[in-house]
Amino acid sequence: MASIEMERKNDASPLGAITAAMKRIGISPLGLVLLVVVALLPLIPPFNQEHMVRWLIMGAFLAAQAIAFDFTAGYINVVNFGFAALLGLGAYTSAILANKSPVLMVQPGLSPWIGIWIGAIVAGLVGLGLGWLTLRLRGIFAAVMAWFVGIALMGLVRNLTPLTRGPLGMNPSSLLNTTANLPYYYIILIMMLAVYVSLRLVTESHYGLAFKAIGQNLDAARASGINPTRYRVFNFALSSLFAGWLGGFYAHYYGSLTPQTLMHTSKTVEVLALVYIGGRGSMWGGMFIAFPFVFFIEYLRSNLTELPGLHLVIYGLLMVLVMILYPDGLAGLYNWAVEKIKGLGNSG
Amino acid sequence: MKEQSSLGSTLVKKLTGNLAATIVVGTTLVLAVVIGVEGGPSQVINSIVTGGMWALLAVGLALVFGVMNVPHFAHGESFMVGAYVAYFVFNPIHTSLKENPNTFLGVTAPFLAMLAAAVAGLILGVILERLLFYPLRLKTKSGWVMNAFLLTVGISFILTNGTTLTLGPNFRGIPRYWDVPPLQVGSVRVAVDRIIAFFIAIISIVALWFFLRQTRTGRAIRAVSQDELGAQMMGINLNFIYPLTFALATAMAALSGASLLFMFQAYPTVGLKPLYFAWYVVMLAGLGNVVGAIVGGFIVAVLQSATQLFTFTVTVLGHEFQIGGIAWEDVIPTFVMIIVLLVVPSGIFGSEVKGVQEQ
Repeated sequence: MASIEMERKNDASPLGAITAAMKRIGISPLGLVLLVVVALLPLIPPFNQEHMVRWLIMGAFLAAQAIAFDFTAGYINVVNFGFAALLGLGAYTSAILANKSPVLMVQPGLSPWIGIWIGAIVAGLVGLGLGWLTLRLRGIFAAVMAWFVGIALMGLVRNLTPLTRGPLGMNPSSLLNTTANLPYYYIILIMMLAVYVSLRLVTESHYGLAFKAIGQNLDAARASGINPTRYRVFNFALSSLFAGWLGGFYAHYYGSLTPQTLMHTSKTVEVLALVYIGGRGSMWGGMFIAFPFVFFIEYLRSNLTELPGLHLVIYGLLMVLVMILYPDGLAGLYNWAVEKIKGLGNSG
Repeated sequence: MKEQSSLGSTLVKKLTGNLAATIVVGTTLVLAVVIGVEGGPSQVINSIVTGGMWALLAVGLALVFGVMNVPHFAHGESFMVGAYVAYFVFNPIHTSLKENPNTFLGVTAPFLAMLAAAVAGLILGVILERLLFYPLRLKTKSGWVMNAFLLTVGISFILTNGTTLTLGPNFRGIPRYWDVPPLQVGSVRVAVDRIIAFFIAIISIVALWFFLRQTRTGRAIRAVSQDELGAQMMGINLNFIYPLTFALATAMAALSGASLLFMFQAYPTVGLKPLYFAWYVVMLAGLGNVVGAIVGGFIVAVLQSATQLFTFTVTVLGHEFQIGGIAWEDVIPTFVMIIVLLVVPSGIFGSEVKGVQEQ
């Protein structure tokens, strides 16, 4: 998962050609090994128990969110504070389109496989509008306005009861005709990889350069002929699109949707904490850390039931500590270690 | 009073010659009259009381943003801390008063609770600033606003969940501070608690105004908000101004949490709604604009009452959708904000922070 500078001398061999191709989509050899491990994990005891597979699914789901979130937070330095709500918008759109039961107002009965994409597009369009409205202003406007839109979306879901059943929640149909968790795990893993690779391709293109320039020094970027607003809006909309897409998976995997558990601001903060602890602007940092984190959190939750919310306090403390003491996060630590090792090799 | 007239004249100056402000304030006044006719004068008095509190909260938010460039997201948690402190100070006194009544203590105990909350806010503010914002300032080279914002998000997350962890999620509230019958104002009966809460808000705002205008330290705070580097060159110590500003804002939020304990109660997530409305006020009035935040507080309170009061139903495909009512309180502000951002991005009274446009 890590994209580190590879030695150029390998390029001639076929192995070198493959690593070069992998590098273009942001996967280093070490990253590839980790990916394979993560993919095989649910086949190996003790991870093959159903509840463990569910944790893995949760991990991959959070990892994918972290990538999409970091795409805006790490690259154009704008925090999409309505991320969870946009995810929920995608989930609800897909769930309503797939509805067949007469409890709700409409029964389109669309296949979830199509609905997920429509949910993604709806979330992307809302992100586009929101970005167009706020991203010509300072970044804090976008963050606060996204928060407002997020709260409004949650309020709408709660209030439009004939469409969403409000706080009672919806029970959308499942994506697959099975009760096993394993197929879902591979679906979300593929989705996670798709998010990573497509966003990597964007950041490796001239768009990525523009994002970096905007994130670092807006005036200099503008002087170089970059239209910051256009790039920022594109970035924001793309991230929202992926949020909606992942929301569709949530809806049709868990089969239960309530505004509070999905769209609340604290859900955005959880992803945000992951991204910061993993290393902002690295894309892989949050993805990497999501898996061990879910296991750690779920372990705490199931073993310390007399201390509700302890895992959330740890989330917050870790995030604040990382921000103040080591703003580069895990990815920064990794890069530093790689530099050190290289330095040792050169001198010796 | 000199300071009050200068506050008034600044308000007048803000309102005249500003089309957007005139339109919004005019509409609000009309709306207030309509609310008075439809919902009775008690509704109007309610909005004024709420408006005072939103103003007090928003002033703190505007001050912190103006002086420290921190978009404060943990302001609601200061409100929460204030509510808890007031509860834990007031409740034991109140229980002991039941056994041996004491009129003097009965009258002063609520003020004692509020004072304790304000002092707790001051201390919390200084601790947070020294412990978290100071090291962050040393670490941050660029993108301070966004980093500070995220830090406050983290603080809010820790305080909310930490409170749940230690005190539990249950509500701790009091029915009223003063066991006296409501006051008769014309044909309307208003609870004494509300009137006192309103006056506490107004007195605090005027006192802050006086402090910022008339004292040396207050002028130093305003100097920092205008030009940090210039202020430093004039010998102003930022390591004194920043903790002071943050402590003042936190204390004001804690004070409003304490004085509204009878309305909101104390529970871990009580701060979310006040935070939301304070941000609404600040965005509407203009980021960092302290005077604008005072007027904005009342505008938002009137809009809020209007949202609660006017409901209508829309029928689509045989299903009834109710629009308006208290459940729409979260939805309407977003639409208002969208219009504001489209027409006057720097807020109706103009932002006093350098550059609303990204630079």
